Amino acid sequence: MARDSAIQPERFEQILAWLNPDRERAAEVYVQLRNDLTKIFIWRSCSDPEGMTDEVFDRVEKKVDAVRPTYKGDPRHYFHGVANILIKENLKKIKTHVSLDDIDLSNQQITETENEAEAIAREECLQSCLQEIGSDKRELIQAYYAEQKQAKIDHRISLAKKFGITLPALRVRVFRIRESLEECIERCLKRKAQRQ
Amino acid sequence: MKEETVSDALLRAFLLGKVDDDERQRIERLFLTDSQERERVLSAEQDLIEDYLEDSLTTEDKQRFIALYAQTPEQRRKLGITKSIKDWAIREVTSPEASGAEVSVWARLRAKSWVKPVFVIPIAVAAMIAIVIALVWLNNREQNRRHLAIEQELAQLNTPSSLREIPPQMVSKDLSPAAVRGAEKETEVRKADDVRIFELRLPWVQRDRYSSYQAQIKRLGEDESYTIRSLQGEDDGRYAVRLRIPARLLNRGQYLIRLSGINADGTSGPLEEYLFTVND
Repeated sequence: MARDSAIQPERFEQILAWLNPDRERAAEVYVQLRNDLTKIFIWRSCSDPEGMTDEVFDRVEKKVDAVRPTYKGDPRHYFHGVANILIKENLKKIKTHVSLDDIDLSNQQITETENEAEAIAREECLQSCLQEIGSDKRELIQAYYAEQKQAKIDHRISLAKKFGITLPALRVRVFRIRESLEECIERCLKRKAQRQ
Repeated sequence: MKEETVSDALLRAFLLGKVDDDERQRIERLFLTDSQERERVLSAEQDLIEDYLEDSLTTEDKQRFIALYAQTPEQRRKLGITKSIKDWAIREVTSPEASGAEVSVWARLRAKSWVKPVFVIPIAVAAMIAIVIALVWLNNREQNRRHLAIEQELAQLNTPSSLREIPPQMVSKDLSPAAVRGAEKETEVRKADDVRIFELRLPWVQRDRYSSYQAQIKRLGEDESYTIRSLQGEDDGRYAVRLRIPARLLNRGQYLIRLSGINADGTSGPLEEYLFTVND
């Protein structure tokens, strides 16, 4: 869980200045870096990815005065190094990895077990957000996901040809649309939850 | 020196925790510092999620996937969202044509008619089309007229000269870009009898600045949106665009503002989104 960080304003400014000399660009890099580190902690099966991201920034904040003047290279690598140290420390303290033996695979697809109310709320949010993204993007998403399993590969290759782009470029294009669609759905679900 | 890119197969192995520590470190570094590689990793993660939802993973990969991506409620919620999008797309393609009931109605009409069947359909279709076109045209004309009037009012209210004036019964509010996650709570705008105009300050947090901006405002859940063009950015400590809206145009509910920078050639540039709630 994310926690309130007692980061000092002047040190926070130092971190921003280290990430990029342009303060506004630095703010973007900062937000992106937070999200990406959280993602890495998730990939490493850490139990509290957001809390660990906070901890990385807390630790860097304490050392930024000393490290920044002599550090060579992309500062994000330094943050990554601190994240690695944290993961190792955490592994020593607690069992963060879920053992494959602990997983009950007799269950079906996990998403089938959710309750009906959640599914209805999600469907409503999906419909609302599909209206927001515009018809071009909506049609691309629909075409991209129209086929499953083996058939989808051929289908997507022909879809990429139709747009005159490569398959990886099509995947990235769809990824960007879907990312904004998912964010819209997340916001919508959050609003619904707050109203209840 | 730029590091080498990573193959799709290696990305999938990475996402399933099947690579050694050196390889994992390399991919994580690329993920953090190379925006193209970052998008590739996240796209590959989505492909993996799709394969899981289609039950196309091997037993071992499925075990690994569940251990990594389906443990927490948040992860399961994200899986649910992807599943909803896929289900919707497939549903759209496979949904049957809903014309069966209409055909039977036409068949009944045709059976009762004294006119030769060959003429019934063209006459009826022509009459229906004429009625529908007339209704749609009248309705659209009224809606367009109302829409244009509101956009003109908004444009007038947001000219540089109007913005220099401080009208009475105006309330100002600072909004935050929706992309700045976890920053603040959604801003609430409270309607009151003595408030005539709301002035919303929209901070522009992107690096590039533009000579003009365009805002589009809509109430969530409704199709209609209003566009306000030729807005100017102002820097009084924090670069922002001011947008004034008559209070009577806002109803109770959530609103979304999309603010985009306008390039020199008139095309839209990057976009920021702002959400706010209107309450009575």
